Amino acid sequence: MINVDNLKKTYYMGNQSLDALSGVTFEITKGEYVAIMGPSGSGKSTLMNIIGCLDSPTKGTYSLNNKEVSQMSDDELSKIRNTEIGFVFQNFSLLPRSSALENVMLPLQYAGISLSERKTIALDALEKVELLDRKDHKPSELSGGQQQRVAIARALVNNPSILFADEPTGNLDSQTGMKVLDIFKRLNENGQTIILITHENEVASAAKRIIHIKDGNISNDEIH
Amino acid sequence: MLIRESINTAVDAIRSNALRSILTTLAIIIGTAAVITMVSMGSSAQKAIDDSITKLGARTIYVYPGWSRSGSSSDRKRTLDIKDADALEDDREIDWKIAPEIRGSRQVKLNNESVSLEIIGSTANFFDIRGYELDEGTLFSERQDLSRKRVVVLGSSVPKELKTSKKRLLNNEISIAGVSFEVIGFIKSQGSNGWRNPDEQIYTPLYTASDRIFGRDTINSINVDFSTDYRVEEVMIAIERVLRREHDIGPGEENNFRINDWSQAVDLRREATSIFFALIVGIAGISLLVGGIGVMNIMLVSVTERTREIGLRKALGATSKVILTQFMIEAITLCLIGGLIGVVLGTSLYFLIAFLQDWPIVFPFTAIIGSVFFSAIVGLFFGIWPARRAAKLDPAVALRYE
Repeated sequence: MINVDNLKKTYYMGNQSLDALSGVTFEITKGEYVAIMGPSGSGKSTLMNIIGCLDSPTKGTYSLNNKEVSQMSDDELSKIRNTEIGFVFQNFSLLPRSSALENVMLPLQYAGISLSERKTIALDALEKVELLDRKDHKPSELSGGQQQRVAIARALVNNPSILFADEPTGNLDSQTGMKVLDIFKRLNENGQTIILITHENEVASAAKRIIHIKDGNISNDEIH
Repeated sequence: MLIRESINTAVDAIRSNALRSILTTLAIIIGTAAVITMVSMGSSAQKAIDDSITKLGARTIYVYPGWSRSGSSSDRKRTLDIKDADALEDDREIDWKIAPEIRGSRQVKLNNESVSLEIIGSTANFFDIRGYELDEGTLFSERQDLSRKRVVVLGSSVPKELKTSKKRLLNNEISIAGVSFEVIGFIKSQGSNGWRNPDEQIYTPLYTASDRIFGRDTINSINVDFSTDYRVEEVMIAIERVLRREHDIGPGEENNFRINDWSQAVDLRREATSIFFALIVGIAGISLLVGGIGVMNIMLVSVTERTREIGLRKALGATSKVILTQFMIEAITLCLIGGLIGVVLGTSLYFLIAFLQDWPIVFPFTAIIGSVFFSAIVGLFFGIWPARRAAKLDPAVALRYE
């Protein structure tokens, strides 16, 4: 499903260059639950940006569902992000002035789905994260755990091929964090491909496979 | 559909910063209000003029005296007198109505009150030609004119000038330049036409005015009223023919009188008004320009403030075009809100002024549509840059923006 081959990303600052990724190669198949792990500055965020189609590699190839992504235009990338990828962020990233339901409906709006259909699908997604009773609440009226569940519902609403979670428990206490990881586990058991980006061992151990990144390279790729 | 969503988002964003948004659009509000008020006031003035022209379906040409040089000396004398008016009256080529006017300011006294007012001496059909309607009492008749009766008809605010009421004045005497006159009627309030205020004038028969007040038979003007069946040029030529004959003007010599179609004056006035308009539109344009820069500034701030939101929207699948549209619509909405507030303010202000000044009210459709349209254009123009900036944000960078 995901094929990354010799991926390189170089940042230029003035006449200095910095290799954030120096030739990364791996493969992720459908239904896997993978954690990408590494300390800050290891290049894991850069890797996530590239396989999340938020950024393009300097060199190398990346194909998603047999489509070569690295050469796509901005609009094509937007479309891929909209239909193939669901993001869950550390800081939840909900629109503060919109209700839970409106937040979950947002990706569907960009997909050009009609309002009534959007509502049905979004309500469905909220039900999966057990937040149907909070659908009209604004993010500020929800707890951190609830906000992250809204964000998960939003990530899933377009039936993405991959669910990306960038430090999803980073802003949560350990108990709430565990609950979120339980949701991921359940989703994975139902066949959802999940990629978890984290620097915490505990969190990473929730995944079936852990890819360790260090200094822009894969230092270890273990399945347990 | 995308447009509707964007409008909702825009209104939301504007509402969440209501005070800032209002302050931002202040210049647009002021500009729009100024345009609406001024343009409407101009239309009102125009309507007042047009109304007085088209009253009774007739038109009026005015004949004014010129100056003549007799012999080698350069002594000048007024060249229009009652005989000229009579000659026009007797000429039957065109079916016109003639009302000569003899005019001047005199002291008017009642008991101890004394004010200087304009006295107009004219014939009985003067009121008809001017479209002045009787309010109370009677108008003077041709017979009263010929017998030089000392009667006057007053404009509606004359009693107030003399610190009394219509009731007390009617059928009583007032003194004009030391001669007493009986008040026989009042005309309805006409409102000022911008040059003269008929409400503050006193009307008396022509011969009475000539003999008993002014002591001259030269007159100030002749009103020539004709139906719209005739062309203005045709009537002017007829007047010229009669008066040249009366004044013994030989071929090749110049007229010693002036014939004015009022439309010339109206044209002049229109021209003056259009210069005034241009000035106002210029000021409004500057105001809208300043407003537009304000909007651009606040949109740039907004884009920076909402960098993360933009990043998120892009991550969720919004294309650059969607982001561009969203911010464009926000800028346009901002300007439109300013424009609409300006429209409400400007229209209210105009209605208030028109009401207080007793002007005819012309609902300023064109001005409203024009200024709303223009404020949208300002939003469009000044929204482009901030919106492009938002659209071009790199989602990976924007998402991490603190």
